[in-house]
Amino acid sequence: MAGDMAGTSGSEVEVTWEDQQNINKFGRLNNRLHELHDEIKTAKETCENLEDASNELILTDEDIVRFQIGEVFAHVPKDEVETRIENMKEETSKNLEKLEEEKESVVAQMAELKKILYGKFKDSINLEED
Amino acid sequence: MAAACSSYTSEVTERRGIPAASFVQDVQSYLNQSGLDVNSALAFLQERLQQYRVVEMKLLAQQRDLQAKIPDIEKCLDIVATLQAKKDGSEALVADFELSEGIYSRARIEDAESVCLWLGANVMLQYSCEEAAALLQTNLENAKASLEVLVADLQYLRDQVTITQVTTARVYNWDVHQRRLRQATTPKES
Repeated sequence: MAGDMAGTSGSEVEVTWEDQQNINKFGRLNNRLHELHDEIKTAKETCENLEDASNELILTDEDIVRFQIGEVFAHVPKDEVETRIENMKEETSKNLEKLEEEKESVVAQMAELKKILYGKFKDSINLEED
Repeated sequence: MAAACSSYTSEVTERRGIPAASFVQDVQSYLNQSGLDVNSALAFLQERLQQYRVVEMKLLAQQRDLQAKIPDIEKCLDIVATLQAKKDGSEALVADFELSEGIYSRARIEDAESVCLWLGANVMLQYSCEEAAALLQTNLENAKASLEVLVADLQYLRDQVTITQVTTARVYNWDVHQRRLRQATTPKES
């Protein structure tokens, strides 16, 4: 995991409780970043699927569409399906936006912590992804 | 596990069965206080790390289960809401459902007064739509709350792992440093 303290010269740079907390925080942020990557990927896929679905909807000439609710495909009038898909699309894109914002904040915080930790420990610490 | 290093603890000593990793201010005092030599201290820290890993696996598995359960409950709520909406209208709900893998059949659901909920352990109970919605909502909220606690536990655990890893590195470095000092002061044989 990111954040090894390699003993290069065996020199005594004291690690304070504050340093430890910074390292802990960096670790937590790094984990959150990985989770966010996955969540953003899933949200983007959902967005694409909804986009494809609404395109298909425009092309179809049936009045009743089989729309999946839970595990079954309910027969729903086309207009209602359109509305449902629009709502789902909006919800998903709002969620995606929120995730992207969180990701930016996490990346910024990590950069800040890197500066602080590399500043104090220089070569004795490794915060890169292997 | 006996607390061999007690006076450097942070605010909490343990959380839900996960022992806290005490932060070491100064390696020399830590070793004096615990009465361990370097190798025993390193062995102790490694053992702690292993214990943490075991707990982490368990928590991650629980997290995966909860994360799968939550969308399921949301789907159920969706269907119950749809049935309730249809009840106000005059027409029945027609749906295609899976009879077996790849085989679908059509169902006509008229005026759904009640639904049956699968409670687990081969038990299925009949509820009115409102009661079912309420029960599912409660389950959903409980699941989300449990997930939150679990995530907090995992974060705490990872912090303890990090502290233990850093302590291990520092004890090791300190040892290297000590050996260098000893070599420097030992009279060299020519």
